[in-house]
Amino acid sequence: MSLLHQAGANVTALLEAKDLKKTYRMGKVLVPALQGITFDVAEGEFVAVFGPSGSGKSTLLHVLGGLDRPDEGEVSVDGISFSTLNDNALAEVRLRKIGFVFQFFNLLPRLTALRNVELPLTLADLPEKESIKKAEDMLKLVGLEDRMNHRPSEMSGGEQQRVAIARALINDPKIFLADEPTGNLDTTTGWEIVQLMERLNKKKGQTFIVVTHDPAIAETVDRIIYLKDGSIQTVKERRN
Amino acid sequence: MRLKRMLSMAWESMKHRRLRTFLTTLGVVIGITAIIALASLGEGFRVSITERMEQGFELDVLTVIPGTLFAGMREPFTNSEVANVRNVSNVSAATPVLQIGGVNLYNGDKNVIAFVGAAVNFTEFAEKVFPNRFLFEEGEMPEQIKNDTLIIGYKVNHPNETEPAFAHPNDTVKMAVTIFGNYTLTANFTVAGTLEKTGTSGLTNFDYWIFIPIDTAIKIYGNVADLIFVKVDDPYLSESVAKDIENLFPPYQITVLVPLSFIQQVNSILNMVEIFLTSIASIALLVAGIGIMNIMTVSVMERTREIGILKAVGAKSRTILTMFLAESALIGIVGSLIGVPTGYGIAHVLSYVLSGFASPQQNHVFQAPEAEQATIAPIFSWSWVIIAVIFGIAICILFGLYPARKAAKLDPVEALRYE
Repeated sequence: MSLLHQAGANVTALLEAKDLKKTYRMGKVLVPALQGITFDVAEGEFVAVFGPSGSGKSTLLHVLGGLDRPDEGEVSVDGISFSTLNDNALAEVRLRKIGFVFQFFNLLPRLTALRNVELPLTLADLPEKESIKKAEDMLKLVGLEDRMNHRPSEMSGGEQQRVAIARALINDPKIFLADEPTGNLDTTTGWEIVQLMERLNKKKGQTFIVVTHDPAIAETVDRIIYLKDGSIQTVKERRN
Repeated sequence: MRLKRMLSMAWESMKHRRLRTFLTTLGVVIGITAIIALASLGEGFRVSITERMEQGFELDVLTVIPGTLFAGMREPFTNSEVANVRNVSNVSAATPVLQIGGVNLYNGDKNVIAFVGAAVNFTEFAEKVFPNRFLFEEGEMPEQIKNDTLIIGYKVNHPNETEPAFAHPNDTVKMAVTIFGNYTLTANFTVAGTLEKTGTSGLTNFDYWIFIPIDTAIKIYGNVADLIFVKVDDPYLSESVAKDIENLFPPYQITVLVPLSFIQQVNSILNMVEIFLTSIASIALLVAGIGIMNIMTVSVMERTREIGILKAVGAKSRTILTMFLAESALIGIVGSLIGVPTGYGIAHVLSYVLSGFASPQQNHVFQAPEAEQATIAPIFSWSWVIIAVIFGIAICILFGLYPARKAAKLDPVEALRYE
């Protein structure tokens, strides 16, 4: 139950997670990753999910982003309930409404920064001329105008993560999901990435959910959800 | 994703793995090359054989034999039977032949043997049934049926090319024929003319024949004809004319040899040989297909993470499937486009080499004068090109399907975790 609901505010949540449960099988052992997680996120909110490793943070993010399906429970984004969608429709939701950023950047190594950022537009069948223009603008926005034709191997970690952020936001998604975005960067670079995300969150009004260990992120977000053993332990509001 | 983008991405990815792409494509090239080379050579072989047979056979001349292979021989044809055959529709001419075997000819102290002595109405035989076939080396065709005249085939007159001819026109030649075992019949003939080489006709070679007037033979033997040559208006009517002629006689009394159906038979056998050769070549393409499957499976494994990224970004399974199929298809397209000209090139080289080996075997009896050098020229055919290219691409897509499906079915979360 989000605070918005508690306050009786007449705002519908952009993302609703209801009683999410998911268990992994590791060989013969069943590992419960999510054990009934319920929360809402409003449009434009910046939420951080904290928790020790193995607390189910990444699984939660995958489920929220439609990359993985829960065993039980329900996720809906922008009024679309994921459980009603087949794999193709879910891919379409990932393409249009969700942007992912990962700890290890996950750029396509053979493509230049520009082509990596353009990829979702290509998948969305945008004409090449238009998609190139948009990708260029996006790269400028994340401060990489002079790195457009570099391949990932020719860029620093921070630069690669900026490309990944640009790629995640190129399709104007409703929700931006990041899994340890600063986890593979040094403190300074990590801080730059945090600031970039904060700036973009304010500028575009998109919803950000970031799974992290990084205390620096905690400084900037609206709400922190603490996860432990697959359940929400505490929720801390920072701003209102 | 648009097909153009898909193909350009596939192309990029293939360029990235140059050696692997080259080797995989090479397999397809070899397969297509083998198919095209064997098909074009096979086709060339078939056409060359058919042409030679058509040169040898007079396609519009049927041979009627008094008897059948299994029911045995009957008595020779009578005059009225020959007339009946002549009256069958679509028959333009029919001429009776009375064959006399093992003829010895003497001209002074010179002696030659003719395999076949044929008693014919020479005017009808040479002008109506086999027009333009018989050219005279010396002398000329008798004006009308003149008794006791003789026309000598080239090989009879020239048993040995280096020695002078056996006889010349107006020589008087003694003919001796052994009949009824030990009784020898002799008669004198005046040579009317000697023939040039005629080449093969059907199963015989007129160069080894001598011709005497049929009336003379009837006087000696009493029979009319043990063979009728029938000329039809159109070779493609020969089957039906043959049927009509058979119907003139009681069942199993005669045999009509139809050269066209013989050629068609040989043609269909050669066709089968061609298809057989091509299917063997197709095995090479099949092996190439398995190579593609192998390489693409490895490629899918190597690119598992990449596939995970694409799926996370929003690529549908179908898009991933098409991306990998596009790579297989490109290998097929490139391989086929290289394989087709290579195949024709190799076919030409092979035909050149083979022609060198297959210098004409001197088969005296069946030698056709105009086809002395055996050359097999590969034949280019668009239909084979299209079949080979479609087959090549189809094999590549078919064998690319399994790895592509494997890629499309990958679970995105697991694919992203893959190291």
